[in-house]
Amino acid sequence: MSQISENKQISPYMAFYMVTTMQIGVGILGFERYIAKTAGHDAWISVIIGGLLFNVLIWMIYRILSRENADIIGVHRNLFGRWIGGTLSFLLLIYFSSTILTVLRTYIEVIQIWIFPELGTPIITFILLGLAYSYVIGGIRVVAGLSVLGFFMSLPLFLLKYYALKNAHYTNFLPILDHSFSDLMAATKGVTLDYLGFELILLYLPFLKHPEKSQKWAHLGNLFTMFTYLITVFVSFVYFNQEQLQHTIWATLTLWKIVDLPFAQRFEYAGIALWLFVILPNICIGFWSVSRGIHRLYKIKQKSALRTMMFIIFICSILVVDRQQVDILNTKVSQIGFYILYAYIPFLFVIQLILGKGNGKGKGRKTSNG
Amino acid sequence: MIFFKKKKKNQQQEAKSNSTKGTLTFPELMKKLTASADFSTVKQTSLSTFYISYYKTLVNPEFLHRDLLPYITEMPLKNLDDIQKHLPLDGMVKSNDVHDIANKVTEGFILIQMNKGDPEGLLVPSLSTENRQISIPETEFSVVGPKEAFVESLDTNLNLIRKRLPIPEFTVKEVRVGKLSKTRVAIIYIDGIADAENVNTAIQRVNDIEYDHVVDSSYINQMISDNENSPFPQLIDTERPDRVASVLSEGKVAIMADGSPHALTGPTTIVEFFSAFEDYFLNWTLASVFRLIRLMAVMFSVLSTPLYVAVLTFHYEMIPENLLATLVASRNDIPFPPILEAIVLELSIELLREAGARLPSKVGQTIGIVGGIVIGTAAVQAGLTSNVLLIIVALAALASFTTPVYQMSNTIRLLRFPFLIFAQFLGVLGVAICFAFIVSHLLKLTSLGRPYIAPLYPLRVNDLKDALIRMPFSVQNSRPSSVRPQDKAKMNKKRAKEKHDIED
Repeated sequence: MSQISENKQISPYMAFYMVTTMQIGVGILGFERYIAKTAGHDAWISVIIGGLLFNVLIWMIYRILSRENADIIGVHRNLFGRWIGGTLSFLLLIYFSSTILTVLRTYIEVIQIWIFPELGTPIITFILLGLAYSYVIGGIRVVAGLSVLGFFMSLPLFLLKYYALKNAHYTNFLPILDHSFSDLMAATKGVTLDYLGFELILLYLPFLKHPEKSQKWAHLGNLFTMFTYLITVFVSFVYFNQEQLQHTIWATLTLWKIVDLPFAQRFEYAGIALWLFVILPNICIGFWSVSRGIHRLYKIKQKSALRTMMFIIFICSILVVDRQQVDILNTKVSQIGFYILYAYIPFLFVIQLILGKGNGKGKGRKTSNG
Repeated sequence: MIFFKKKKKNQQQEAKSNSTKGTLTFPELMKKLTASADFSTVKQTSLSTFYISYYKTLVNPEFLHRDLLPYITEMPLKNLDDIQKHLPLDGMVKSNDVHDIANKVTEGFILIQMNKGDPEGLLVPSLSTENRQISIPETEFSVVGPKEAFVESLDTNLNLIRKRLPIPEFTVKEVRVGKLSKTRVAIIYIDGIADAENVNTAIQRVNDIEYDHVVDSSYINQMISDNENSPFPQLIDTERPDRVASVLSEGKVAIMADGSPHALTGPTTIVEFFSAFEDYFLNWTLASVFRLIRLMAVMFSVLSTPLYVAVLTFHYEMIPENLLATLVASRNDIPFPPILEAIVLELSIELLREAGARLPSKVGQTIGIVGGIVIGTAAVQAGLTSNVLLIIVALAALASFTTPVYQMSNTIRLLRFPFLIFAQFLGVLGVAICFAFIVSHLLKLTSLGRPYIAPLYPLRVNDLKDALIRMPFSVQNSRPSSVRPQDKAKMNKKRAKEKHDIED
């Protein structure tokens, strides 16, 4: 397979935007409740632990991919052969698709709960998928551009935290380290879903110019996500007490509600609308990567792969009916993601270390990326 | 598709009929030419006999009688070579190619023959160009700065630019475009600064134009743009020679057509459409603030009515109590839903604008004022629209005029209608979705193959110094990297720094 031509590649620093925008998605709108369940007001420590652990994972992923100079599909093929490797790649693609579905469906759920209770899921799914299609069809450059614009458009939302800080109770944080280590680790597991998403780099890394230079940007992206989450958790924790937090499903969204400007109030409407630019890069990078993966695996045209995928996601999105099912979807995907990241990636890393000696580097290069 | 194929076939046939012209003989040509009333052939019999043929309407009679005839009638001349030697003129061609003769004569050359049937003739250039005087720029008026605007003659226009860039690297490539109009199109760039790829793209696209007549540069603008269906203009259309000179020095390419008082420049980026050339004549702080105001105006112009419709239709909770009272009072006895109210008002403003643009300027102004005030007040008093919306719509219309490039302001005018429709269906979310669709379109758009929203994406921090704000000239030390100039530096940074010291 030929090397990707340079004019289709994107700059290494794009890894920063693509990693953060993939990580920050719907989770941040209401993740405070989940992590506070076990770790209480110390949950911010879990956010930091999670962020640092994910930095290790990013390092591992870069090691795995750079050793073979390929994407994950090439790695699978080299390590496990055509059939087992292909199956593993296929399963991974299914997981990635389910994360797209989760993000999409959860956002639709937020829209239905907060803005339009009577809006039919098929209509809004159709519109959002059409939007995603118009981006993905433009290729990785357009998708990456969306993540840059999405990043900058969502930055002003930080300013809204000011209104919550006006009514802050800073003593909510005391006493620090009041929870056991196992509590903190449980909360860390809970925070996983919110850091998920960067693993799509397994598929799009060959499209970054000088992949080795992009690694520091990916780490920075992850750190930015951690920083964002820390601020979010901090503001939510000083505004709500733990009791309240347990009954607040969308803590971040609720905080937008208290914004009060002379010409506008109830900012959650504007916030959710703006949040489209956070969700869209998620969906688009997902669709692009998975359709690219299918194209690599089965030699189907990427366009047809994309259309088929969109159709399947559309059907699945309609099949998820109510809040409970959205919740189940989130939990399950988060669990699978947890195992893939904390078990499968290290496993792959070790396997490659062992097998890598026998195979040598030459073989990896032969079936390089494409 | 079938229609399209047919069209192609037709074109091929036409091309064929063109090539059969190759068998044209000289007598046939003369017959064709004399069929026209303004073509004349004069037999001169003084010391020697020869025939002079020309179009009376193309040739300057003063030139003919003062500069041509005296030289050839006062001497015995045997053949065309003799004539050529004795005429103190340049650009003369001796030709026996029928097509060459046909082309030259129709351009304004005088044909001199020794015998009437001779297939060989001497062609003397004598073009009389009727020009408009150079006048003040009208669409891109600036209070300070040069007040020259392009006119309809390509040579005059090139002169206006060349005197601003008196360097040998300033290069003009000329191409003829249009089967009937044979319009002279010039592609202008500075060699050594402009990227060769950009220049080649421009030349190739102009060369590829297949059309019978090209009257204005705006034809070319549409024909060579990267995406013909986009409402966004992809090349800047300017009437200011100073702007063209400064754009050329940034490493861009300009395209001009004979007969058009506008130049096209590219590759361009979307931010350039919102920068007036006057920005460079003002202090950078002022210019930056005005640029930001202009950007806000664009946002306001596009989004204000859609947001009004969205909020009043779906999210009236977003309006604070005090403001709500005002809005309720104003909308109390309006029988229409917000969307209908907004569309009717927007359309009537468009109507006024369109009427004003079609009428002579003095009448147009009156119509605008009378229509605006009378219709507006009457509509509010009749209880058909709320006065809050009237204010918003009027301000939005005003804001759309702040865009310095006329074609972009038309785009902005149009852009708010899809937003209105989305706002009616999905409220603020609809506005966001519509915006996302436009962003996706902009991300895919290119100008001469270069990204359209360049300093923003691909993010070029260095180019931001002259994008949303304009930094001082001391910071403007490099040309925009999005056009890939061959020579990146505008000035020697080191030398510039050395000159700035305390007490120096």
